[in-house]
Amino acid sequence: MSDLIVGISDIKITNKLDDVIITYALGSCIGISVYDPVAKVGGLLHYMLPDSALDAKKAKDNPAMFADTGIPMLFKSCYAMGAEKKRMIVNVAGGASILDDTNFFRIGQKNIMAMRKIFWKNNIMIKAEDTGANYNRTIRLVMEMGKVFIRSSGGEMKEL
Amino acid sequence: MTIVDRILKSINTIPAFPATGNKVAQLLNQADYSVMQVANIIKFDPSMTANILKMANSAYFSPLHRISTINDAVIYLGQKNLLRAIQTAGISKYYKKGALGYFDKTTDLWEHCVAVALMSQILSKKITGQEDSTLYTAALLHDVGKIIMGEFVRDSLAKISTLVSEKNMSFLEAEEIVLGINHADLGGKITEHWNFPVEISEAIAYHHRPDLLEKKEKIIPWIVYMADQACLMMGVGGGVDGLAQRAVSQLLKKFNLRMRDLEMSMVMLSDDLDRAKELMSIV
Repeated sequence: MSDLIVGISDIKITNKLDDVIITYALGSCIGISVYDPVAKVGGLLHYMLPDSALDAKKAKDNPAMFADTGIPMLFKSCYAMGAEKKRMIVNVAGGASILDDTNFFRIGQKNIMAMRKIFWKNNIMIKAEDTGANYNRTIRLVMEMGKVFIRSSGGEMKEL
Repeated sequence: MTIVDRILKSINTIPAFPATGNKVAQLLNQADYSVMQVANIIKFDPSMTANILKMANSAYFSPLHRISTINDAVIYLGQKNLLRAIQTAGISKYYKKGALGYFDKTTDLWEHCVAVALMSQILSKKITGQEDSTLYTAALLHDVGKIIMGEFVRDSLAKISTLVSEKNMSFLEAEEIVLGINHADLGGKITEHWNFPVEISEAIAYHHRPDLLEKKEKIIPWIVYMADQACLMMGVGGGVDGLAQRAVSQLLKKFNLRMRDLEMSMVMLSDDLDRAKELMSIV
């Protein structure tokens, strides 16, 4: 069994049942876990910013950095390994914000909004989520069970 | 003895800061100095010598040829980078044990501090048009208080976390209430104890609340704050304090920045971090 570590602005896909895909330290970034229980394909995306219009060249080099390029890439990579959209289970976590941030650094909220917009346009339902608030999160997708576990800063590991 | 007395007493147990950095800085400020003189100061400090060579050869400074002597490193790095390399190498040893209590891994604190130092330069270039070595040092040292506070925070974590989650306090405010001092003030005292210039110790003491500093025109504390917050949002070295941080609302207006500028600086930091892996690994 191996641990696949997803860095910041990174994506990992697998169809090995003994793999665990992990991303650490989501602050304002968002982690999206997808899993097809029939094809046994799972993927985890850790994107940093909402909109690739910020830097088109960067988005081309590393689509996983932005919501609007990373999310399509996550789904397409899973389809390429036999997953089907209608069976995909989607879980999300992250998008934290600092306290009372009314007018600056709203990256957490912007990341959440960008994701919702993309899911809404594409008719994708989120199964469970742990987003917002002001703590960091770690996500683990355990392929064998297809279950997603979240650990918040200083806390215990819990199933999402 | 109260907790705060015990914390303050621990300052005296931290080893003295290596004088190499300040000696080189003084020399570089003189109108006339030779590469040999600079190299001789560094050579006097063997662990510094090893670290400078390692850093000069790292991808971050990407030399065309292998640099094998301190003289070559001094010439290749140049004034600005040399000072930075010396401070990074000198500071790294204090972060070796990390700050368990705040972080899961011992290397997290160091990675966070290097990231904030790199981010401070990206922001400085955007705001003032140039990089700034004093700012770099302040950013690198901003969380030095955590090396002492870590064990005290670990022992009182339940109390601190309760204040954060139930009273909507920032982690820093809760530290101060439970322990009698916060890690920023403590870091200011540690760097005072090490005889760093006052603009550095002030920037560290106020790195979570630059708006409370009387001399508000000083920009170093503001940039350290901004760089720290940006790295925490990116998840570079976030610890138990997470994003339980106070927002200082004047920030963007003060420097005439837009959200977009901050997002762009995060993209730029991602590139710097890829190139700075060796800098990180000296701890």
